[in-house]
Amino acid sequence: MKRLALGGASALALTAGMAFADAHTAFVVGEGDFSWESYQAFADANDLTGQTVEITGPWTGNEKEKVDKVFDFFTQATGATVNYSGSDSFEQDIVISTRSGSAPNLAVFPQPGLAADLASQGFLTPLADGTAEWVAENFAAGQSWVDLGTYADADGNDALFGLFYRVDLKSLVWYSPEAFDEAGYDIPQSMEELKSLTDQIVEDGGTPWCIGLGSGAATGWPATDWVEDMMLRTQSPEDYDAWVANQLKFDDPKVVAAIEEFGYFARNDAYVSGGSSAVANTDFRESPAGLFEIPPACYMHRQASFIPAFFPEGTKVGTDVDFFYFPAYAEKDLGKPVLGAGTLFGITKPSDATTAFIEFLKLPVAHELWMAQGGFLTAHAGVNSATYADDSLRGQGEILRNATTFRFDASDLMPGEIGAGAFWTGMVDYSTGADAAEVAKGIQTRWDAMR
Amino acid sequence: MDNIAGSRPALRWVTQISVILLVLIWLLPTVGLLVSSFRDRDQISQSGWWMSPFAVVQNFGVKIDAGTATSTADQFTITGNIFEEAGSEVIRFGGSRAAPTEFKAGDTADLTRNRSLTVQIDGSFVYTSPEEITRDPTVYFSLASPPEFSLENYETIMTSSNMDRAFINTLTVTIPATIIPILIAAFAAYALAWMDFAGRGLIIAIVVGLLVVPLQLALVPLLQFHNKIGIGQSFLGIWMAHTGFGLPLAIYLLRNYMVGLPRDIIESAKVDGATDFQVFIKIVLPLSFPALASFAIFQFLWTWNDLLVAKVFLPSNSESWVMTVKIADDLLGSRGGDWGILAAAAFVSIAVPLIVFFTMQRYLVRGLLAGSVK
Repeated sequence: MKRLALGGASALALTAGMAFADAHTAFVVGEGDFSWESYQAFADANDLTGQTVEITGPWTGNEKEKVDKVFDFFTQATGATVNYSGSDSFEQDIVISTRSGSAPNLAVFPQPGLAADLASQGFLTPLADGTAEWVAENFAAGQSWVDLGTYADADGNDALFGLFYRVDLKSLVWYSPEAFDEAGYDIPQSMEELKSLTDQIVEDGGTPWCIGLGSGAATGWPATDWVEDMMLRTQSPEDYDAWVANQLKFDDPKVVAAIEEFGYFARNDAYVSGGSSAVANTDFRESPAGLFEIPPACYMHRQASFIPAFFPEGTKVGTDVDFFYFPAYAEKDLGKPVLGAGTLFGITKPSDATTAFIEFLKLPVAHELWMAQGGFLTAHAGVNSATYADDSLRGQGEILRNATTFRFDASDLMPGEIGAGAFWTGMVDYSTGADAAEVAKGIQTRWDAMR
Repeated sequence: MDNIAGSRPALRWVTQISVILLVLIWLLPTVGLLVSSFRDRDQISQSGWWMSPFAVVQNFGVKIDAGTATSTADQFTITGNIFEEAGSEVIRFGGSRAAPTEFKAGDTADLTRNRSLTVQIDGSFVYTSPEEITRDPTVYFSLASPPEFSLENYETIMTSSNMDRAFINTLTVTIPATIIPILIAAFAAYALAWMDFAGRGLIIAIVVGLLVVPLQLALVPLLQFHNKIGIGQSFLGIWMAHTGFGLPLAIYLLRNYMVGLPRDIIESAKVDGATDFQVFIKIVLPLSFPALASFAIFQFLWTWNDLLVAKVFLPSNSESWVMTVKIADDLLGSRGGDWGILAAAAFVSIAVPLIVFFTMQRYLVRGLLAGSVK
């Protein structure tokens, strides 16, 4: 690319941007827009010199680098060392290490379901008294985060086991502003408009959507996000909750209708890049590349807030690619539902330093430090949104804050055999031509068989 | 040679061709991996490795700066070159993203609103508009990119921090985990093959039974045990684990080989007054060398490639990462999308096992037959 004059210019801009980012990541206590006051108070109140906090979690690679920088400030404040290690197979590792008695102090769970499992076997320690009230007060839509972190312990008593740190926003549609601009398309404000835009693009000779469900052993999960989003856009939040708990059966007409809403987009050859048969075979990591092709292989891609990590190198969010909120039906009075997911901290081996660490996570600055490095959203309402690394993240933060309904990824809350099994494979079957009602019935049968 | 029975030329050709075909089929994935290791992630997702030696016609878009426009009485003009360095050739060009290759290089394209665009083969362009140009226009064009290979993936792996540490850790795990089970198994195999004691058959049966127990079953209880006796997660712990998991096969293989040694030699040594220990050291051990070597190769390859046992029995901090853990948890990125790194890492990590294999492979075939024919 260095042969292109203006490509060269943009490479230059990129280096300049990186220098800026570097300056941005070398945080100094007391400088910038961060909430240092509460941090200072925390530092004064805690001296844990000589202690160590062991943490394991699913963040590896450059996410580990970012989170290590946040943890450094815990060390600076208290003198305690933090050893964070990320693992690609965290879900299996944490089960082995808690059962064999070599658990770390804290674990970062990517799914509430796994934390609930360990809590019910007595491997997790409840968070300090008052944490639940604090979360309810200080998080946006606080009570829903308390509920998501509250599980039954080994004796069946409910307690708060998980504190959410880092949220992923799923109801996003990614597009290329340039392609939209040249073709004269506007950002749709409702599902009706989105559907007519889809038809419009087809009429103009383009392909509206890139959808890829491939993900190795987890193939199918992107479709579960689609169905969950559609569920929130066609049914009430109460129905959604009932569906998660299987009080609303999987083969209920309401659920089948949501699956068919997904099929409206994914099973129409003209709507999807490569035709509907390519949906199940395309890797979710490679699927968004179609947005950047010239001519565009597709104009829109629905995926969670983490997807920019898989855009081609050098892509700048905000100029080369942007997002809009996956809109709701204007005719249905369901507000602006938002689907999300998140990671939570749970105590696997209590200690003084661990308790202090949970306190540290309550500080706005613990969130702001990662927000400033990019790729991080938070539900903490007390943070200064000026610290978000860019406008795009700030925009996502706004969507999260303005959501009238926030619901957690249903497949992460369902039992593993359904949410990380039957639902995935069922969606692959559906996208390759199976009947929605039959697929739903199959998943419900599996669910019944579990009891 | 012509009249040797069974070597009819036609048959020989068929055999040889099918051998070559089989070899090719076996090699194909490895070749693909090798080619991919020299390409970056974007290239890998753009085209298959088999397309990589050919030039690809790719479309590009370049924004041109409206600020450099010059104006005459009736029109505004931007001129310039889309290339920074000379040497590339524009094949086709266009004025919109939807039709980026509408016109041939050198032609003049009439765009919407009476604008026009000409792009020459060498990349120089003239963009004219009757009205003032307010927004930076984009010129789309196609050119043939030559195949691109780089050592970047290998560089990333070699220069990543703690890679040397991981390499040494892997050796620290692998070498003792290969030698210890061989030492123990050789003694055990001799006893089970040549010493008479009650319950010998039963012990052999138990060892054979242990062969079919999957090691995953033992992970949690074994680690619990290590924690209880104070070893915890450490190198000593992983040596013991690998030893334990390797022993049944080692004992079974060596015992079957040793049983097949000529009884006469051992009996005459005993007649001459040799003790069991002398027979073992001076006669059985040297004669069993092929079997020892072949098991050493197996055990070495298996411990070298192991990810699961290392993750369970070693501490999870980056100082005790072995290479496989380092590759999986650090280099592959947060969601494992860096295929190029994966391919290059595979080649880096098979280098040592390949050396071991080629230096010892002449024993492998002999050793594989160990105990199969008496």
